[in-house]
Amino acid sequence: MYTKVILVKDTDLKREDKTREFYTRLLDYLREASLHEQIQVVRVADIGVYDQGLVVKVLPDKVTYINVQDTDVKKIVDAILSEGKVIEDLVFKPKAKQHRIVLRNCGKIDPESIDDYIASGGYLALKKVLGELGQLKLIDEIKLSGIRGRGGAGYPTWMKWNFAREMNSAEKFVICNADEGDPGAYMDRSVLEGDPHSVIEGLIIAAFAIGASKGYFYIRAEYPLAVERIEKAIKQAYDYGLLGSGILGSSFNLDIDIRLGAGAFVCGEETALISSIEGKRGTPHPRPPYPSVKGLWGKPTVINNVETLANIPVIIAKGGKWFAQIGTQTSKGTKVFAVTGKVKNSGLVEIAMGATLREIVMDICGGTLSGKPIKAVQTGGPSGGVIPEELLDTPVDYENLQKLGSIMGSGGMIVMDDDDCMVDIPKFYLGFCVEESCGKCAPCRIGGFQMLGYLKKISEGRGIPEDLGQLRRIAQAMQKASLCGLGQTASNPVLSTLKYFEDEYNEHILNKRCPAGKCSSLITYTIIEDKCKRCGICFNNCPVKAISGSKEEGYSIAQDKCIKCGQCFDVCKFKAINKK
Amino acid sequence: MAKIIKARINGILLRVEEGTTILEAAKRVQIKIPTLCKHPDLPASASCGICIVKNKGSHKMLRSCCTPLDEGMDIITHDPEIVEIRRTVIELILSNHPNDCLKCARNNQCELQKLTADFGIKDESFPQYLRDLPIDTSTSAVDLDPKKCILCGRCVHVCQELQDVWALSFLERGMKTRISPAGDIQLADSPCVKCGQCSAHCPTGAFVEQDHTAKVWKGLMDPDKYCVVQIAPAVRVSIGEAFGYVGKNFTKKLYALLRRLGFHAVFDTSFAADVTIMEEASEFEERLLHGNRPLPLITSCCPSWVDFMEKFYPDMIEHFSSCKSPHEILGVLSKTYYAEKNKIDPAKIFMVSIMPCTSKKYEITRNAEMSASGFQDIDTVLCTRELVRMIKQAGIDFDTLPDEECDSILGEYAGAGVIFGSTGGVMEAALRTAHYFVTGKELKNVEFVSVRGLKGVKETEIEVDGKKLKIAIAHGLGNVEHILNKVREAKLNNKEMPYHFIEVMACPGGCVGGGGQPYMVTDELRIKRAQALYQDDDQKQIRCSHQNPYIKRLYKEFLGKPLSEKSEKLLHVHYKARPVYIK
Amino acid sequence: MNKLSPADLDKMSKAPSDKPKDWIKVGLSSCGIAAGADEVFNFFVEEVKKRNLQIEIKKCGCAGMCYAEPLVEVNVEGLPSVIYGSVNKDIATKILEKHVISKMLVNDYIFEVLI
Repeated sequence: MYTKVILVKDTDLKREDKTREFYTRLLDYLREASLHEQIQVVRVADIGVYDQGLVVKVLPDKVTYINVQDTDVKKIVDAILSEGKVIEDLVFKPKAKQHRIVLRNCGKIDPESIDDYIASGGYLALKKVLGELGQLKLIDEIKLSGIRGRGGAGYPTWMKWNFAREMNSAEKFVICNADEGDPGAYMDRSVLEGDPHSVIEGLIIAAFAIGASKGYFYIRAEYPLAVERIEKAIKQAYDYGLLGSGILGSSFNLDIDIRLGAGAFVCGEETALISSIEGKRGTPHPRPPYPSVKGLWGKPTVINNVETLANIPVIIAKGGKWFAQIGTQTSKGTKVFAVTGKVKNSGLVEIAMGATLREIVMDICGGTLSGKPIKAVQTGGPSGGVIPEELLDTPVDYENLQKLGSIMGSGGMIVMDDDDCMVDIPKFYLGFCVEESCGKCAPCRIGGFQMLGYLKKISEGRGIPEDLGQLRRIAQAMQKASLCGLGQTASNPVLSTLKYFEDEYNEHILNKRCPAGKCSSLITYTIIEDKCKRCGICFNNCPVKAISGSKEEGYSIAQDKCIKCGQCFDVCKFKAINKK
Repeated sequence: MAKIIKARINGILLRVEEGTTILEAAKRVQIKIPTLCKHPDLPASASCGICIVKNKGSHKMLRSCCTPLDEGMDIITHDPEIVEIRRTVIELILSNHPNDCLKCARNNQCELQKLTADFGIKDESFPQYLRDLPIDTSTSAVDLDPKKCILCGRCVHVCQELQDVWALSFLERGMKTRISPAGDIQLADSPCVKCGQCSAHCPTGAFVEQDHTAKVWKGLMDPDKYCVVQIAPAVRVSIGEAFGYVGKNFTKKLYALLRRLGFHAVFDTSFAADVTIMEEASEFEERLLHGNRPLPLITSCCPSWVDFMEKFYPDMIEHFSSCKSPHEILGVLSKTYYAEKNKIDPAKIFMVSIMPCTSKKYEITRNAEMSASGFQDIDTVLCTRELVRMIKQAGIDFDTLPDEECDSILGEYAGAGVIFGSTGGVMEAALRTAHYFVTGKELKNVEFVSVRGLKGVKETEIEVDGKKLKIAIAHGLGNVEHILNKVREAKLNNKEMPYHFIEVMACPGGCVGGGGQPYMVTDELRIKRAQALYQDDDQKQIRCSHQNPYIKRLYKEFLGKPLSEKSEKLLHVHYKARPVYIK
Repeated sequence: MNKLSPADLDKMSKAPSDKPKDWIKVGLSSCGIAAGADEVFNFFVEEVKKRNLQIEIKKCGCAGMCYAEPLVEVNVEGLPSVIYGSVNKDIATKILEKHVISKMLVNDYIFEVLI
């Protein structure tokens, strides 16, 4: 029977065989020492540490050694056998650690089993709220926790609740905003799919806090699995008397329904969301009045994001004070990010507020997949901005990201390397906002469209220096004069790239060159005769027959026919295609 | 009492009632904040983004149209940054709007054009982007040119909330957003009732009345035609606004004016209103005393209301007065009674109605009963705005025109006839005559003040011969539901009817606030226009329709008596249920 | 329809699990399903039945390591619980034969990333 396991992985990308080599060395050593039946050695695909040479991790001790040398084998095995001794100069002390509050049950419990959720402590917070706390103490606890809305704007949750609680109305509503729409962001989907009851419990507690007897899940229809799991979970909660009348034997009643969103980005904005639930066109409305005063059907309504609600049961269970210890001065608790783009480990990361972007991207997500240096990180989706590499040591919280010209947003984080063009990226995001603008208000509707026109012009090599001034001018008008968050923030990707990467814009405008090689109009592919082996693979792969010639005469690319798809560049084994 | 808010606007300390918007509050300290979407009739839609202001200490800008002034605010309405952003927004709007101001129906009367001029915008700052969208001319009353639409949303709000018609909605989104009937159908196939309130509220030339001035010029030029014209009550008190006069009655100037335009005879719709009253009051008397048809009786002189009723309340048909609208009555009388008396071939008579209304343009061909004379009773309808253009084209100096009288025998009207132009006016006029018909006695005081005013729904009781008559008046179709649902409920449950007599006018304020009236109407203006009509009534010797000697003569010489066979044939119509959507 | 009382809830949350200790969890969220987790899950269910293994196959949500889906967490008595990534039928077979039956962790597919 094995008592220990040693996991082995070389974390230096350039030395692929090193893991296997060390594995064999370790195995041989154990055999010689006749320890191979006590200690098992396993090569792993990923060991959670990056760029630290050879890494071994001992289980179940959970001790990790980094930059391990061949000569360290004996030392490590001795340490393992010593039970408790740790090699101090090799041991890995993680800088960044995930802190899972929202994702506490994701990947652990069966999302379709309410018993699983209850067995992991679920619905005990609700019991506490109904049995011990009452409305006022509950809101005090949320206030103490300092939690702010995780949907993007970061409004203090307790204030929303308290406004709605203070309203004198026979009818009040709570809504869970699950209309997650930022490109690349899917934290909410994962929570709804992986731990639906935590959100339902949060929503029930929110309803109790304000005195609502009706709640809605507003979920985008593109999330069928999330809808299915929430539906099931609601039914289970009804069966157990956790929804309906007389919840947990108390006098509190709550019914919850699901409303499907048709996938309009703007319906994540709370006044548009309300219109959508009411069956109207999903366009934003002026605030005030705020929904907590006059919301759904004109009644006081609290709208909380999925992630916010998933935090609530933990805050209640462990106390607001406990929660407030996590995070920074202004931003308490954790934040879940969906890290995507040119990153090695794309996925969900939950960290305590205050962790730096570099820790998230490098230490937790392993840096870029390509091994190329990071150029920038984009946060906050289409409403956010691009943060350049040199600012990655900024601790993540609401205020800091805003200072950098980005926003926390709902938690999208896109990693970019040198192959990403800083004109193309804002063009993509702005294109998204232009597509998703509800069309109601002129600055957003026309401003976004015109800005996109300038970006297209620049990316196609038709830009003039004055275009940057026009972009800034429209951006200012959109920021200040748009009605809702979508329009007010839609220019952030452009403004932040203009702020940090103006040179790259100028390269496009003045030198008609795209340094990242992304803007197809500015790229030319040519064949480098010296390197060309006349194999003909480019000739065979060109989809538009822009390459002519023969194995005898050599090949050339007709620029007027070339559509800049890059096929020839990709297939050439001899790097004989020049892209510039 | 509402809470009083203390705040500053441009440094000026002011106190306003809680809930007052910054835009409204600023007006009180003589500051006009520009806006393209906010209309005094409507709640803020907050779509244009021009009315932004700053609150000191905040980096955000506020939309003054929809943000209430709050305690302690320190608002700045104009500074270089704000003006620059406003200019940018206007330029953005212009980049999505055609540059054909010179050839636009709203030239010189366009709110966007005015703002462009105010901001001194001369260049095209941003590339023009226009979509090729067809103009909808299907209604023959109001045309929609979606290219000119700046999506302020006024028309949609008017159509959905004020009028409860729901013909208009926003379609698609982003730069593709446009105004259209739901399902992208033509207006004529939609629930549209042609009230024209969209055109009266549109800041640009997206919604305009269908222009029929050319037809009128052509008629006037035709030597074979005998051109006659009538003017509606509400026109006389609004037309002056185009020449700088507010709340003034220009009845007699209009008579002179129309003669100078070349009309052979000038009549007054108010005369026909007296006829309407004779017929409608008789209907009421029959229903009240003889019960041959059910009460309440509902007035029918507004074609938009008739259209609305046929589409949305066909169960009310039996309650509708079968009497035509006054201008149609005058039309048929001109081609029968007048033609006979003056020995004119009715085929040669070219009848033009000058109306505050776009709906009448549609009404004149709505069914065969509109040609009761054997010819189309009304040949063309011009709304007030079109007449203003004709005056200018004819080079007539409105200010110095003399007063003239109208032509007999379809001109002289009682006071009752002229108040038709205001909400409550038809009811008041009808009550004056109905009282006489029911009791045989003349009223001592003919004024029913409780039916006047701009309250959306007016409910009152009036005693006639010891019997209490329950009256309801609604203006703005959005106010109809409240009244008719009560009737519906009583019918369904066989209960006592909540009313005896109901007046409905489609437009807010009645015809004085008609869809064809001069632009930028407000309640203040509606009241002034109505006051001018009531003043006209007040100054008349004869205030009741049945006392009008020309009315007596009409019945004696031509119609016999109200509801006679001839009256029924010429002056009455039948209604039928119509689909809300065609196709 | 057994409505819970607060006491029931306490009992349920503290109740010791009487379920078998050995289990395999397959991440069945959208990211997992998109990568083929459904197939892997069904494969495990069938194989366990076929081979008559005493191990429970369970579902769970997304653990966050979406780049390595389908993810399979294996807990067998005597071995640390580990997560295998990018699992397909071949790897699933190895997991059953080596990890579950022979009690040896499978080389090269473990993702030990959650610190």
